[in-house]
Amino acid sequence: MLSSICLCACDGLLLSKTDPNGIVYCSEGSPANFNPQLDTSGTTVDASSHQIYDRLIDFDPVTGDFVPALATSWLISDDGKTYTFQLRRKVSFHDTQTFTPTRYFNADDVLFSIDRWRLMTHPFHQISGGRYPYTDSLKLADLITKVTRLNGYRVEITLNKPESSFLANLATDFAVILSAEYADKLISRNQKELIDHKPVGTGPYQLASFRQDRYIRYTKHPKYWRNIQLTDKLIFDITPSSSLRLAKLITAECDAIALPAHSELEVIKQQDALVLDEKPGLNIGFWAFNTSKAPFNNPEVRRALGMAIDKNALIEAIYFNSAILAKNIVPPTSWAFQSDVKALSYNPIAAKKLLREQGIPENFSMTVWAMPVQRAYNPNATKMAELIQAYLQEVGIQVNIISYEWSTFRERLTQGIHDSVLIGWSADNGDPDNFYRPLLSCAAIESGTNRAMWCSQEYDLLINKALQYTDISERTYFYGQANELLAEQLPLIPIAHASRYQAHRKELQGLVINPYGGVRFGGVKKL
Amino acid sequence: MTKVLLRYTNLVLATLFVLSLLSFILAYLFPGQAIENLTGLRLLELTERQNSELKYAVDANILVQYWHYMGELFAGNWGVSFSSGLPLIEDVSHYLPASIELSAYALFLSFFIGLPLGFLAALRHHKFTDYSLLSVSLLGYSIPVFWLALILILFFSLQLGWFPLSGRISLLFEIPRATGFILIDILLSDSIDKSAALTSALRHLILPTLSIAVVTTTLIIRITRRSVIKTLNSEFILAAYARGLTPRQVLMRHGVRNALIPILPLLAMQFPTLLTNAMIVESIFSWPGIGNWLIQAIYQQDYPAIRAGMLAVSVLVVIFTMSIDLTIRLTDPRRRRAERATI
Amino acid sequence: MPQSSLYQEEHYPSPLQYTWMEFKKNHIAVAGLFCFAFFLIITIFCPLLAPFDPNMQQIGDLLIPPSWYPNGGISHLFGTDALGRDLLSRIIYGCRTTFGISLLLVVVAMFLGVGLGALAGMSKGFRSSFINHTLDSIQAIPTLLIAIIIIAILGTGLVNSMWAIALALIPQFVHQTRDFIRHELSKEYIMAAKLDGASKTHIFMHSILPNMGEMLVVQGTLALSVSILDISALGFLKLGAQAPSSELGAMLLEGIEVAYIAPWTIAVPGGALFIMIISINLVGDGLRSALRNRLLH
Repeated sequence: MLSSICLCACDGLLLSKTDPNGIVYCSEGSPANFNPQLDTSGTTVDASSHQIYDRLIDFDPVTGDFVPALATSWLISDDGKTYTFQLRRKVSFHDTQTFTPTRYFNADDVLFSIDRWRLMTHPFHQISGGRYPYTDSLKLADLITKVTRLNGYRVEITLNKPESSFLANLATDFAVILSAEYADKLISRNQKELIDHKPVGTGPYQLASFRQDRYIRYTKHPKYWRNIQLTDKLIFDITPSSSLRLAKLITAECDAIALPAHSELEVIKQQDALVLDEKPGLNIGFWAFNTSKAPFNNPEVRRALGMAIDKNALIEAIYFNSAILAKNIVPPTSWAFQSDVKALSYNPIAAKKLLREQGIPENFSMTVWAMPVQRAYNPNATKMAELIQAYLQEVGIQVNIISYEWSTFRERLTQGIHDSVLIGWSADNGDPDNFYRPLLSCAAIESGTNRAMWCSQEYDLLINKALQYTDISERTYFYGQANELLAEQLPLIPIAHASRYQAHRKELQGLVINPYGGVRFGGVKKL
Repeated sequence: MTKVLLRYTNLVLATLFVLSLLSFILAYLFPGQAIENLTGLRLLELTERQNSELKYAVDANILVQYWHYMGELFAGNWGVSFSSGLPLIEDVSHYLPASIELSAYALFLSFFIGLPLGFLAALRHHKFTDYSLLSVSLLGYSIPVFWLALILILFFSLQLGWFPLSGRISLLFEIPRATGFILIDILLSDSIDKSAALTSALRHLILPTLSIAVVTTTLIIRITRRSVIKTLNSEFILAAYARGLTPRQVLMRHGVRNALIPILPLLAMQFPTLLTNAMIVESIFSWPGIGNWLIQAIYQQDYPAIRAGMLAVSVLVVIFTMSIDLTIRLTDPRRRRAERATI
Repeated sequence: MPQSSLYQEEHYPSPLQYTWMEFKKNHIAVAGLFCFAFFLIITIFCPLLAPFDPNMQQIGDLLIPPSWYPNGGISHLFGTDALGRDLLSRIIYGCRTTFGISLLLVVVAMFLGVGLGALAGMSKGFRSSFINHTLDSIQAIPTLLIAIIIIAILGTGLVNSMWAIALALIPQFVHQTRDFIRHELSKEYIMAAKLDGASKTHIFMHSILPNMGEMLVVQGTLALSVSILDISALGFLKLGAQAPSSELGAMLLEGIEVAYIAPWTIAVPGGALFIMIISINLVGDGLRSALRNRLLH
């Protein structure tokens, strides 16, 4: 009798899975805030862009074409300088604990969202630091001469010169639309800083609560304008360790996980209850040298260091062959890719000789900064740094591996105190400009995405020229020249273009890899 | 009696004073500015606030600073965390109950299993049962707790899929916080499906509790066994036999009580070990407890958090051990101090 | 020539011999002792025993299973880890780090502890009670918390974690020494020495210290197992020995990343730790019961 009760209790304890309706996503870190305008980190983008906000236009995740979002249609003038957007009607903002909207989305919200990063004098420009890394690195603020409200549902943006990647930039994860009414409320309450921490947007989910390093809770936006499936609750379970994320996926504590480790892909494929999606990634993992510092300001030294490492071996050990060797900074799927550019080959003897010729003594010591987080473009930077350490030992260079907690790491990188760093970049749109400009232009040094601290007038000229044309063959010509310049100067050593992976449980339907950035949960449902 | 109470109050106050002083000094020993470590605010923000009172405290001599610090401590103003920016007192009161809950269940489970087994081993002294229990307990307290936890996860979570491996409860449940103890909070709340939430919480509890309890149980077995053996060899037991009592009567009337009394203080001394193990296990099972939080604080160089966490945990330990000491002293005035455990 | 005793007189073994005889009766404890000796040998001669350099990365040989797996190789007995390092060599060096350092810490803690304990035991009044109270409060704080504080001040690293563990080990020695001295002081041979006019130092050095040996060994084995557990726990939590170092706890942590595809990367270092601690506890247990039995007779 007693034992049968016990058995029943055990049965109930072990097998009943009566969790409330909702989706749990195991993400890799805490977002810095909930506004992707302020942060290019994938973690922040994942947590906010497609969950809390909408953009004027979106990329179709399959074809890569522009599709209407908050703008129902748009017009580009013949000179390519004026863009007119017709806005969607009856779009509601979130009704949260801090804010209850009294009106629908309209042109004021578009003006507010763009002017916030565009105008230094804007009341919200300096809130949360006043840095807008994505738009700053592209100098979008200088490009736009004015943003005007034609009427409540019509907005016109004027540029000072035609730029072919402009529309793509408006469709990126960073061009989100905030609520102007909420901002006004915050001004009157004198709580401006809440705008990025208690966000209000039009997206499919609204933020319910956030606990640093533990979880983010979202609830359904009941009046979402798109007619798509939403679950009552969406939870980001913050789990920095990739093996723990996989373990939680297996035990069904998570329904989907961010960034499965490359070493574990086989395991996921073998499990019947799990699904692994793969797409060639628009990204680059690289080893950047701090070119503002001697001796790394010498291209020959950089070349020698590049020759000292065996990139094929790195790809095998770090990416488990799920990546391809990088030659340019753009991946082969991009039209700006050039297969004939000369890549460095592994040659430690020549590297050693070249180093001595350039006056680098035996036992020279340098730092390699390894980012503490996993990214698709570099799933294990620390391990890569250890391998590089071993390679450089062979050419007589001592390597100190340095790593800090992620936000500290990026802060100190921007200060430029590193010798070299293992980091990378994921594209936010299909335009190759999204690689060339943020990674290596002079403007990107200050906005903190140019990790090589490399500034070349010649290069800036080339990539700016490329933007003035809309014809792809003409743009390819300029990017080709930029590629050659990079192959000669080597401010960074491209290492790999990794495939993007996403793992989820079979019950979860509708989750697709978004090649242009953050994960989206609108339209995802759990059976 | 009053004298004893007074003495203990005195002792507790003195120790707490030393601890608070220590936590204050830590702010100076940690890297960075002491004022930052004390308040958790960056210098920039501090000047922004123009808090005249604070300024006065910074510029004054160290005794005044300490006085001010104590004032703030009692006012519940412990500073804010570097990394999350939340008030530390809120963080601590959020994480500490989770740790206490976990340790308490583990301790309870250990008593439940350890005491009877300890008696059993002692009564079968130098027999097979005794030896096998001893060997098993030797294995139990030799196993590194983090390895045990990993093995339990690999087997029960990943292979069998019986138990979840992280957290206190499925995040899909939103339990309103009342006491901070999850099981109690579930019972108090009325907005949710109680039985489902309880099941989820219990499933999350089992593995971490087991990992901690294994070590504690083996310790309890050994301590109990030793104490019972010692008691059964005493002369009053012999006298009891001489009076013609059966072994059962002897054990029940004289053995149990006399063996149990010395065990309690010895177990109290294992409390720090228990807590250390709990902290390690917390970080493996992502249990939102104070140990996990402190370890994260180290990674993020969150000095105000370390200072406050250290103070909270050590105060808890001191009060706990002292009150056990006091209880023993009051119930059994013959004992002077707690003896050291032999296992 | 057969050995026979000419005299009826019984042979009385010395206390040390008697302890050894008692200890020998316990076969499991003897096995523990052999194991202990084995780890000691590994610790001393590890560069000779390790087949590979523990930090040498062979990129061609990533995650090779141990030789008892069907697809394992014989050149790497325990397989390799995610960076292609030979696990056997890493374990051997890891034993040196973990075991060797723990041994060192115990010896240091023992010296300091006995010194302080002697001070507390031989003196009376305020000094004694001050030492007692300080140590009691240190002992009440969990080791991990002490370690966290010290590491927060000095930064992470093996050496800094050693300070923390040493600090946590000392109180036990002090208590044991003090209790032992108190106990001995009441005995008659001390009284005799006192009557001979021996000074306090003389009494401690010549009468008490020689008798403390066994107690210290027993206490030392206890401290050793605690110290190994602590050092590896700190390594495991990334607070002690850092990643490339072949400390067993740190290796275990590295293993977690690939635990699911290469379970041996956590099984082997964990197993080594487990066996190490068991052997120490066996020896300690055996010694203790041997001493207890000797005293009973």
